[in-house]
Amino acid sequence: MISMSSQSYLKARASVMSGQLIDEDAFESLLHAPLPQLEGQFGLEGISDRGLSPAELNRTIERGLINQLMNELSILLRPLNGAARESLIYWSRKFELYNLKALIRGKLNNLPYDLIRESLHILPSRISLPHEALLRTENVPELLRQLERTPYEAIARQARQVYEEKNESFSLDATIDLRYHAGLLKHAQSCDREDQVPLLKLIGSLIDRQNLPWLLRYRLNYQLSPTETYYLMIPSGRHIHAELLKQLVNMQGMPQILEALPAPLDSRLAGSGTIMAVELAMTEDLNHQARRCLQFSPSAVTRSLAYMMLREMDLRRVFAIIQGRVLTLDEQLIRQAADLDREVTGV
Amino acid sequence: MFRPLPMKQVLIQLLADDLPRAALTLAELGVFSPCSKEGFNEHFPNIPGAHYRELYHQACSRLQKIESHITLRPALSISPTRVISEQELNTTNEWLGEVWERCSSFEEHFRRLTDEEHMLNQLEQTLDNFASLNIDLSLLHGERLFLDLHVGMLPSVNVPKLREAIGLADYLLFSYLENSNNTHVIIMGSKGAREQELRSVLDTAGFHALEIPPELDDKPDRIRTDLQQRRNAVALERAERQQAMQACGEELRAQLEQSRDLLILAESFVAMEDAARNVGHLAIISGWVPERELKRVESALHTTLDSPFQITASTPSRAEHREVPTYLPVNWLTSAFSSLVKQYGVPRYGEINPTLIFALSFIAMFGMMFGDVGHGAVIVLAAWLGRKRLKSFTPFVICAGLSATLFGLLYGSLFGYEHLFHAVWIAPLSDPLYMLSMALFWGIGFMVVISLLYIHNRLVSGEISHALFDTNGVVSITLYLSVLSGAYNFYQSGSFGWLPAALSIFTLLTLLAFKLIEIHAPPGERMLVATIETFETLTGYVSNTLSFLRVAAFSLNHVALAIAVFTLAEMMEGTGHVLMVIGGNLFILILEGAIVTIQALRLEYYEGFSRFFSGDGEEFKPLKLSLQGAK
Repeated sequence: MISMSSQSYLKARASVMSGQLIDEDAFESLLHAPLPQLEGQFGLEGISDRGLSPAELNRTIERGLINQLMNELSILLRPLNGAARESLIYWSRKFELYNLKALIRGKLNNLPYDLIRESLHILPSRISLPHEALLRTENVPELLRQLERTPYEAIARQARQVYEEKNESFSLDATIDLRYHAGLLKHAQSCDREDQVPLLKLIGSLIDRQNLPWLLRYRLNYQLSPTETYYLMIPSGRHIHAELLKQLVNMQGMPQILEALPAPLDSRLAGSGTIMAVELAMTEDLNHQARRCLQFSPSAVTRSLAYMMLREMDLRRVFAIIQGRVLTLDEQLIRQAADLDREVTGV
Repeated sequence: MFRPLPMKQVLIQLLADDLPRAALTLAELGVFSPCSKEGFNEHFPNIPGAHYRELYHQACSRLQKIESHITLRPALSISPTRVISEQELNTTNEWLGEVWERCSSFEEHFRRLTDEEHMLNQLEQTLDNFASLNIDLSLLHGERLFLDLHVGMLPSVNVPKLREAIGLADYLLFSYLENSNNTHVIIMGSKGAREQELRSVLDTAGFHALEIPPELDDKPDRIRTDLQQRRNAVALERAERQQAMQACGEELRAQLEQSRDLLILAESFVAMEDAARNVGHLAIISGWVPERELKRVESALHTTLDSPFQITASTPSRAEHREVPTYLPVNWLTSAFSSLVKQYGVPRYGEINPTLIFALSFIAMFGMMFGDVGHGAVIVLAAWLGRKRLKSFTPFVICAGLSATLFGLLYGSLFGYEHLFHAVWIAPLSDPLYMLSMALFWGIGFMVVISLLYIHNRLVSGEISHALFDTNGVVSITLYLSVLSGAYNFYQSGSFGWLPAALSIFTLLTLLAFKLIEIHAPPGERMLVATIETFETLTGYVSNTLSFLRVAAFSLNHVALAIAVFTLAEMMEGTGHVLMVIGGNLFILILEGAIVTIQALRLEYYEGFSRFFSGDGEEFKPLKLSLQGAK
């Protein structure tokens, strides 16, 4: 139970921190700002002068931005306790799951140690796996045995079953995502009643963003059956609820699926011709929902989670800009990578 | 003794081929700490041995994993030493890879056996469950013409999702038993085109089919016997595997120990990292060596290297002191005290080494608070008897015991008895106020010494303004002494005295002015923070000094506890009396002994170290022939 004073403090904190969120105009100016200024603004001073390889550069920028995100998360966690705190920490575990997927994928494809290591995020110890020990494993079964000795034991067990039955990485990825989102929902459900409803709505939007593009991929690209596609979907979406998902997985083409979506998704996704376009539109929808939560939600922890989601989205775009600028890529390419030509929906 | 050893930054210029030999020689000497020097990166851009390092780390990781299955004897000194070539390292790494594969397959097999045992348990529970059902179980096994039927189990968390998913393929799921995160289910639907679709989703959901033995409906005892036989077979297989694992360990142990020694020898070159650089055939090694060891290093390199080399040593400038590692030599007597100092931090290069001051003041304070000849002697005896367990902490405990004995003589106390011999100095309870005033003087002396150490450390690092004006600097200590002197005058004559008053005001204002200059903030905030910090400096000195009253308080407490024990003993007779005295003394020894140790450490760390000792220095860690990498 969060006290009234902590609620007020956290709302004020989230509100102050929301000043750091970057609007579209600011993104435009970041694209044209001098590189040293850009690096300084995000705590990455001098990275372009260090003569790093593209891979090292990626790693350095990504690490810097994730550090920033984790520092901000630590600030928001301070007044929180109990289930609300755990929910916010659990959200941040997604970064470690990226690592987990990279590790499993790397081991499945027999990638060399350095290559896998380069793709891992450096994270705070509270969510981090023992990377070195996992990297030094020599095959997937050994990796899974090691993982079974970590807090990710449940995921590892599930991953083992999928690996032994199917031996393919996309099923593993889907299973990991499924467990992660189910865990996030479970954490939100154990929060106080006043936090629970808004949190579930926000997480529902996150799940919708995850479900729809993957539904299209599973059905149209991987040709999975409706049954298996539905099994790999995460229930409890905000607009795309379980019953609708059952109808969607039985449909054969993208236009048919998009037409069957409820408002406001139908209008937002109208005209999306590719899965990538659908993903961008869903990200935009999530952005819109999160901004609403940040401004109007009665729950402080929901505002905090909304802020972290938005900040993550912003920093990903900043990452694309800095990376493109340091590698002196074509401006159009950077604009595309940082999604700078999106249409902005008002809150 | 009071300062870390003077260090020299050395640069060894040599041929690239000699790098591994030089690294090995330096590791054998154990007085060289490798450290990259940025100025050379441009001229010597390459860091040699990247592949060697990768092989070494992989081999170490494999050895470490193997050691969790095969116990090796502790490494003894390796003689004669030799340079390990990349090819030899590669061969060892590959061999360790093969050994690990064997160990890993054992590990995986054990895991499968555990899973099988788990499955047998589940099956037995299933049978129990089926046995109580009032249905014809023969219907559950075998192929059917129209019905697609699956009996099995899956993780409970997947059940609701699977039920909904297979519903899309017109299948039904019934759960009949749930235990330890798994649910036993029956899945049925009509045979047809969607069978394959079902199998795929069942695999994804982690479904395990369970056999329904045909005899189930009429011969349950026989099935139970079969299950027991399978369980026995698993246990037997486990035992056989364990035996095989043991045999494997016996067979490979000697070679594994050789491999470990080889890795120890290879580590010296690996540990050089970017301190060893090269361009073509020319190479450099940079690092730190204690000044007194420089000649030994040079002569050892002359002996071992066939090709010419050059060694140059430079004294670090004051500006470079932050980068210089601090070498605090220890011996058997000071080792434990040094460990306790390092718990707080390592002094910067050039700063006073606080180990000796810590050792002396800790021993003295322990004795003052725990003065008793008998208790001290017991501590000394216990430390001697437990020396194998205490290891380097034996001298520490013996010193504490001797100090307690010495103060016991001064206080005239033997196992709490105050009348067995005359106190050389004073029995604490005879004049508590005197004891308190002595503790106060001890505290004042301690604070003055600590402030002098702070002033010295700041002067050494060139921070003259801080040495003069900062908290703990010259001005602060003058303020402290003038306030004390004024308070003493006031206590004696009722007046503060003009000189202490003038000095106090002057130093207070100077301190305030310095804080105002130092703090960078808007004017209002600057004034507020400076005033509070100045006030805090004064109150800090006063409260820290008063903190030392606990030294006297614990010496009184020691006597009071003994009185309590004797009062209880007086209420008993014969054996009860003796047991009470012995038990009470043990209670005092253990409980009060622990409390006094903590209090003395607290005074050292909080009142002492926090005032003069930044503790952010870097410890000198020389290259050694050790198992650092392999562990």
